[in-house]
Amino acid sequence: MALIEIDNLSVTFLSKGHRVLAVKDVSLAVEARESFGLVGESGSGKSTILRAICGLAPVSGGAIRIDGQPLDRGAGKGFARRVQMVFQDPYASLHPRHTIDRTLSEPLAIHGIGDTDARVMRALDDVGLPRSFRFRFPHQLSGGQRQRVAIARALMLEPEILLLDEPTSALDASVQAETLNLLNRLRAERGLTFLMVSHDLAVIDHMCDRILVMQHGQAVEELTRDQLAGAQMKTDYARSLFAASADRMLAG
Amino acid sequence: MSLLSVKNLRVSFDTEAGLVEAVRGVSFELGRERLGIVGESGSGKTMTGRAVLRLIRPPGRIEADRMAFDGQDLMRATEREMRALRGPRIAMVMQDPKYSLNPVMKVGAQLMEGLRQRDRLSRMEAHDKAIAALEAVQIRDPGRVMEAYPHELSGGMGQRVMIAMMLIPNPDLLIADEPTSALDVTVQAEVLAILDGLVRNRGMGLIFISHDLRLVARFCDRVLVMYKGKVVEELAAQDLMQAKHPYTQGLLNCLPRIGGPRQPLPGLDRNADWAV
Amino acid sequence: MSTGMSQITTWLRDPNPTSRRQARLGQAFMAWLRMRRNPLAMVGLAIVAVLLVMAAFAPWLAPHDPITQDLSNRLLPPLTPGHLLGTDDFGRDILSRILYGSRITLFIIGLVAVTAPVFGLLVGTVAGYFGGWTDEILMRITDIFLAFPKLILALALVAVLGPGMENAILAIALTSWPPYARVARAETLTVRTSDYIAAVRLQGAGPARIILGHVMPMCLPSVIIRVTLDMAGVILIAAGLGFLGLGVQPPLPEWGAMISAGRKYLFEQWWVATMPGLAIFIVSLGFNLLGDGLRDVLDPRSAGR
Repeated sequence: MALIEIDNLSVTFLSKGHRVLAVKDVSLAVEARESFGLVGESGSGKSTILRAICGLAPVSGGAIRIDGQPLDRGAGKGFARRVQMVFQDPYASLHPRHTIDRTLSEPLAIHGIGDTDARVMRALDDVGLPRSFRFRFPHQLSGGQRQRVAIARALMLEPEILLLDEPTSALDASVQAETLNLLNRLRAERGLTFLMVSHDLAVIDHMCDRILVMQHGQAVEELTRDQLAGAQMKTDYARSLFAASADRMLAG
Repeated sequence: MSLLSVKNLRVSFDTEAGLVEAVRGVSFELGRERLGIVGESGSGKTMTGRAVLRLIRPPGRIEADRMAFDGQDLMRATEREMRALRGPRIAMVMQDPKYSLNPVMKVGAQLMEGLRQRDRLSRMEAHDKAIAALEAVQIRDPGRVMEAYPHELSGGMGQRVMIAMMLIPNPDLLIADEPTSALDVTVQAEVLAILDGLVRNRGMGLIFISHDLRLVARFCDRVLVMYKGKVVEELAAQDLMQAKHPYTQGLLNCLPRIGGPRQPLPGLDRNADWAV
Repeated sequence: MSTGMSQITTWLRDPNPTSRRQARLGQAFMAWLRMRRNPLAMVGLAIVAVLLVMAAFAPWLAPHDPITQDLSNRLLPPLTPGHLLGTDDFGRDILSRILYGSRITLFIIGLVAVTAPVFGLLVGTVAGYFGGWTDEILMRITDIFLAFPKLILALALVAVLGPGMENAILAIALTSWPPYARVARAETLTVRTSDYIAAVRLQGAGPARIILGHVMPMCLPSVIIRVTLDMAGVILIAAGLGFLGLGVQPPLPEWGAMISAGRKYLFEQWWVATMPGLAIFIVSLGFNLLGDGLRDVLDPRSAGR
């Protein structure tokens, strides 16, 4: 049985009286300790799927199961200890008036976990941030450092599943490399399961074992890593995405 | 004679945290060619582009030994003279069309505004010219786009409108600051091809500012690589793979590739001599 | 001495604070540096500081007793020896009365400033965060309060409760919370969809924790700015109630009541009403300037950087 199972998921937003179908009948399954990628362009619904898993988007049809258990509405405390998320924009995902210390100790306080000081220090060490950053505010950090804080926060409750919503698209190339390396190291060390969203095929390819290409809220094609590397896609859309991908541009 | 000549350009900001130097002595010459400026955030690439147009607000300060456009000294030019340059002679395209277009004005009206006021064209003439400009950026139904508000356009369409608007007065130099970073990859390629064609056909000078080394190399004749406000390397685009400077090499190698090996990506050594 | 000072500033500017307290104080110090660049805000701050000093040291600063009458010296003009600002119709020194009156003004301002904004903030954040029916009900109540002119509503309340300082304060507080609720709700609506609120919800935090710990700190700056800007209005309403005889009762030296008493002599002895009027004007101006300056310093959009 897969760890994350999504069957015929549909998400409908109500915007200005119109019903907008953001995700239409998407199914996928992610095994434990697997890294699964969702790739597509803006408006393809890839991020909405992550938000639906967390109860941040209105599910209008289908089912989401974690470890065989259907999700009841909204993310409770039990859910929080199993699934956490890293957001796209590290400038928007950290509270601007909380110190790094407060941001990292908040999940511990919510769940009544003690030993705060030691855990915060260890979390900073784990993501490669100096301990002297502990009492800084987010605006005193660079984008890459903020994203490290966001990753540390997601790992404070020691979840088994990490949802990654474009975790490096707001970062510089060299910082992206460091962040991806960090994520891969943490996954190996902790046996995490990744469900990662990106518009960058190369990033997804580097990080994931299997890939689902999405367009206009629908699943287009599922590819393994080897199929992608060998350019063995069946649909035109996946092929055009592959052709336009940044690292092809130099060779082409 | 070169179109734009910049010698020892410095941009500094006097903030409460102390003096911050965003650009520290940048020099370059530009003819009617395509020059790329590449660097990561904080490298001073955007500030360099803005300094050429003297678009830096206090507390920012611009200093240069020489900064001349087509023989005119930009450092000594009055604000009035600068305004006559901005737009008609030097145009700028920014990253996100959402923030560069007026949200409560129809696209057509924005395109025609300059033509009517600056060039004193009649309504009909201005309308025809605006349509022609939209056709030049390969917008298929320019009539509909003229009547649309910016929020009704997609990102790629908005950026094409921006390019069309900037190119209407036939400037000699275009500064494009990350013109495609906010766009999807498939759209990105289209917009770049359009921009490339226009710049070539009109024999304009182009400064293309981007964080993406490979994109710039494909698109420009010459590349300046900036780091922390300084130019660390200048090279012809086709020689990119033979880059000598460790920073340029680092930028090239740190991107993941499809089908590349699954080992950790090489990062930058931020403690090396050049980095300090 | 100067090395001690520079040590403190280095400690405050330290980019790597070693404790929560140092981080907070460092933030405040940077805000202070930003504030110092705005000369008008500093003028406002100086006026408010002078008001505080006046209130604290009134018995030592005042040359005369503010209440004892001296009918042989009534209606002396300003600059009379011993009576810098002149005397009123009972021969009381106007300067002394203004100095003591600052205590009453400050007391009213202080009590209103701790009650109305706190209540408004709570109503606004709760309405904004939950939305739906909660929002509808709370905001319609707010609208009802907003629909009445402030002074009329305060008058009605005082008329029901009876005149007196405590009732005046209560009336002012009850009429001035709705704008804070509005401001806080507007701020909450933009904050509640942000990623950092989504992140803390994902960690399993309940609504009370999110509202108090995460939403309110973001609304606080706008509310604080609004409070300082409103302080001028509060002083004027208090003065208005005093003027109408519904606020602080004679012989206490409340500025509005002093103007009211001077009204009879406005043409012959102009200073009796003008001096407290000037005091109200200057203090209102001070709070307005300070509020404007705080807007630049505290606004999360400008300070976020």
